[in-house]
Amino acid sequence: MCGITGYIGTEPAGRIVHQGLKNLEYRGYDSAGIALAGETVSVYKTEGEVDELPVPAQNDVACGIGHTRWSTHGEPTETNAHPHTDCSGDVAVVHNGIIENYEELKAALRDQHIFKSDTDTEVIPHLIENHLADDVSLLTAVQRTTAQLEGSFAIAVTAAGHDGVVVAREDSPLLVGHGENATFIGSDATAFIEHTDQVTYLESGDIARLTREDIEIYNAGEPVTREIETLEWDAEAAGKSGYEHYMLKEIHEQPRALRQAISGRIDELATSVDLDIDLPAEYLRSIEEIQIVACGTSYHAGLYAKELLEAHAGVRVTVHIASEYEFGGDRDPWRTMVVAITQSGETADTLSALRNAKRAGARTLAVTNTLGSTVTRDADDTVFIRAGPEIGVAATKTFVSQVATATLLTVHLGQVRQSITSQTTTELLESLRDLPGAVQQILDREATIKDAAETYADSESFFYIGRQAGYPVALESALKLKEISYDHAEGFAAGELKHGPLALVTPETPVIALLTNASAAEKTLNNVNEVESRGAPVIGVTSDPAATSHVDTTFDIPECGPLEPVVANVALQLFAYYVADAKDRAIDKPRNLAKSVTVE
Amino acid sequence: MKAVVLAAGKGRRLWPLTENRPKPMIPVANRPILEHVIDALDGAAVDEVILVVGSNRERIQNYFQDGQDWELDISYVVQEQQLGTGHALLQAEAQIGDSFIAMNGDRIIDAALIERVWDRHQETGDPVLSVTRVEEPSRYGVVELDGEMVSSLEEKPLPQLTTSEYINTGVYAFEPDIFAAIRQTEGTGEQALTDTLTRYIDDQRLRAVTYRGMWLDVSEPWDLLEMNDSLIAYEGPSGTDPARVDDSAVVAEAAIVGEGVSVHPQAAVLRGVTLGDNVSVGPGVVLENAVILSDVTLKAGAVVTDCIVGANTTIGPNTTVEGGSTDVVLNERVYHDVTFGGLLGDNVDVGGNVTITPGSIVGNDAHIGSAALVSGRIDDSTHVERG
Repeated sequence: MCGITGYIGTEPAGRIVHQGLKNLEYRGYDSAGIALAGETVSVYKTEGEVDELPVPAQNDVACGIGHTRWSTHGEPTETNAHPHTDCSGDVAVVHNGIIENYEELKAALRDQHIFKSDTDTEVIPHLIENHLADDVSLLTAVQRTTAQLEGSFAIAVTAAGHDGVVVAREDSPLLVGHGENATFIGSDATAFIEHTDQVTYLESGDIARLTREDIEIYNAGEPVTREIETLEWDAEAAGKSGYEHYMLKEIHEQPRALRQAISGRIDELATSVDLDIDLPAEYLRSIEEIQIVACGTSYHAGLYAKELLEAHAGVRVTVHIASEYEFGGDRDPWRTMVVAITQSGETADTLSALRNAKRAGARTLAVTNTLGSTVTRDADDTVFIRAGPEIGVAATKTFVSQVATATLLTVHLGQVRQSITSQTTTELLESLRDLPGAVQQILDREATIKDAAETYADSESFFYIGRQAGYPVALESALKLKEISYDHAEGFAAGELKHGPLALVTPETPVIALLTNASAAEKTLNNVNEVESRGAPVIGVTSDPAATSHVDTTFDIPECGPLEPVVANVALQLFAYYVADAKDRAIDKPRNLAKSVTVE
Repeated sequence: MKAVVLAAGKGRRLWPLTENRPKPMIPVANRPILEHVIDALDGAAVDEVILVVGSNRERIQNYFQDGQDWELDISYVVQEQQLGTGHALLQAEAQIGDSFIAMNGDRIIDAALIERVWDRHQETGDPVLSVTRVEEPSRYGVVELDGEMVSSLEEKPLPQLTTSEYINTGVYAFEPDIFAAIRQTEGTGEQALTDTLTRYIDDQRLRAVTYRGMWLDVSEPWDLLEMNDSLIAYEGPSGTDPARVDDSAVVAEAAIVGEGVSVHPQAAVLRGVTLGDNVSVGPGVVLENAVILSDVTLKAGAVVTDCIVGANTTIGPNTTVEGGSTDVVLNERVYHDVTFGGLLGDNVDVGGNVTITPGSIVGNDAHIGSAALVSGRIDDSTHVERG
């Protein structure tokens, strides 16, 4: 995905847009660029990270747009970097999303226009150039242009001699910030959050003309008004606060994030939860199946949720990788609830799966971290995980908060459906309450995990094994390691080893075994013996002192009931972090990856 | 104006609380000591704070982040090894271009003190420190004065060797030339800031302002209880979320309750108690004059008096910390008649029907079996069973 930002105000725009790009860099960093527009348009671009792009020296222009790119069409080169311009160089466009019909459009334009890049985006400035030739306003030209485009996009357009910026949104996220004497544009609020917390979320189909003090919004040619909302997050929460990486900062924020996730939602005295779900109780009682759709780390949180929901909420649960999802199998949509888990609320694959379910007639629930995100509008109801902003590309605190929220949802559904015993309720709620303190203990033992990480850093491959709730944690922990250290890492259901993967196990491949509560540790110990007899070193993650005699290295974790595997995950986040750190990897910006993927 | 706050010290005398957090992060009236310091700086119109951090610095960084919640700009410099206060201050050199305030992060003071030190520095251009009177000056850095000028500064002198009642509060105003002076100070191992100040004294340039306001220092664990009690009185009670307190439980006015706390039926949270976030107070629990850190679980019928309980500790049913006055031996010194029921570290697991006798100190991660009788000092991770 890519990040868009823009500024119309009184200060030199180059500096502000550049800072906005820095803030958005987690959305993409293959290349970056800025266009400043006054009487003429000047474009500054680079291949690589935003840091490689000098702040434009031009100080007399107070209007500009910027873009940081994560390649989908065309290589990450300076030529392919946005902004793209028309033949005259007077129209500049930044774009996030995909133009599906760009090949036809390009073929039609090619006779009269010169294309410089391989991107789908470049058709947009040339189309605008054609319309501007009819002597219409930039707004009209953009309206006519978007009517010709198919696909998903958020664009911002400036043109020489035209005041302000015109933006348009079709599916891809875009919002406008209102400052004093200034208007800001961002793919998300991170872009400008140090300047203002007053924002307008544009809706799909909106085209807006932005000037320093004003915003005019049109949808299908008609003027519309959109509310101005106040953001609750502030810029403070997006800084690194003395940590070397956002990821390490976010790992350390987990006790706090977990307290926020449960704060005010558990009534310990009444042993009940309040998630503020509007879906009627009769409906929740009637459902026969929950389908969870998610990608990446959120998918692993979904697998954990399945363990909890099937055991305690008395409902069949299937977990689907969002990009593979179809509502089918002759299910009854009236008796199927679809739960979409997405940190950003903008993950294109997950949104598309959710829409597929809606079209089939199922009700939908979003579990997300981002207020005002697209998923919160698309789903019938939303539960927020309240983890606070997560900037590191490798998700950490959002995973534990997703699982904590799923636990609350389990208790809620279990109580509504009368399938949970009061003893289990108490056990789950106590486990939730113990979680922040248990995670803090892992952080206090960081040094031992760091030592182990340095010992094993040079291994060929890493295998993670677990059962029950330990299985999704094995998958998630392996994903963490591969994302940031670039080592080969795989998670397996412990019992599956002997059905194939055991062939990969050698003395050079450490095996990390989840030997916690809620993960059938006794059985997994048999699998530990299997790999040890092939000479593989074993790291055991356990709260049981008796298990330590079976393994080479122990990550000793505190007891934490049914959520103990979550505590183990935190230890393994630190393990992944320190393996990657020992190799000097770009931990917050792993190669080829972007934070939330808004393309399918 | 900028301030450099020294928050890298380990504070070994408050073991075991300082194993997992630096001393400035120990909570008093439910907020870290350092937050009270930051509030004073904010009140004195400081707009940029540089925190010198060291061991367990994550705790400080997580809490204060970039300072937005205090509307201050907070940044961090790291002192990797504890090589004295002078060395700590030196770490901030690159951030300082003009006169600045330097102070300790583990003593609670008023904004007025900072303002007075700053004003005097602005008027004279000389380095300024501030002094206050205390009962036992020889526990601190004793300052002798000649009018406004400091004539000597002696760390913890023998009581018979000094007549001055004034001690150094640890709040200073300096010019950037202090950094050169620190570097030129001959040290044996640690670079103490006070050794450097001796040079200014020799040049008759070090001024002192006297101060009579709040100056609270935690040296020994029981000081924490006293400071907590006086700050609750000073700052007033926090609002309690009524949904989390059972109708039959009592929460005193002079108690502070954190977020997400549950107070079960018949429990009594009495005078001088602070409850950290996410604490569970079981049915029939009685708490008086106690500092309870976050994530603690107190099971039914526990009685905890004059006691500090570390984070995430569990206290079993009917366990008693009886409280009261006692003689305590700590770091080779006997303290007579201190009100100190005990100190339990973080993640301690105390069983049911345990009795903790006054003055006990229990290390982190210890396990105390049911019906045990605890006294004296119990090391980290020790298992104590009824014997």
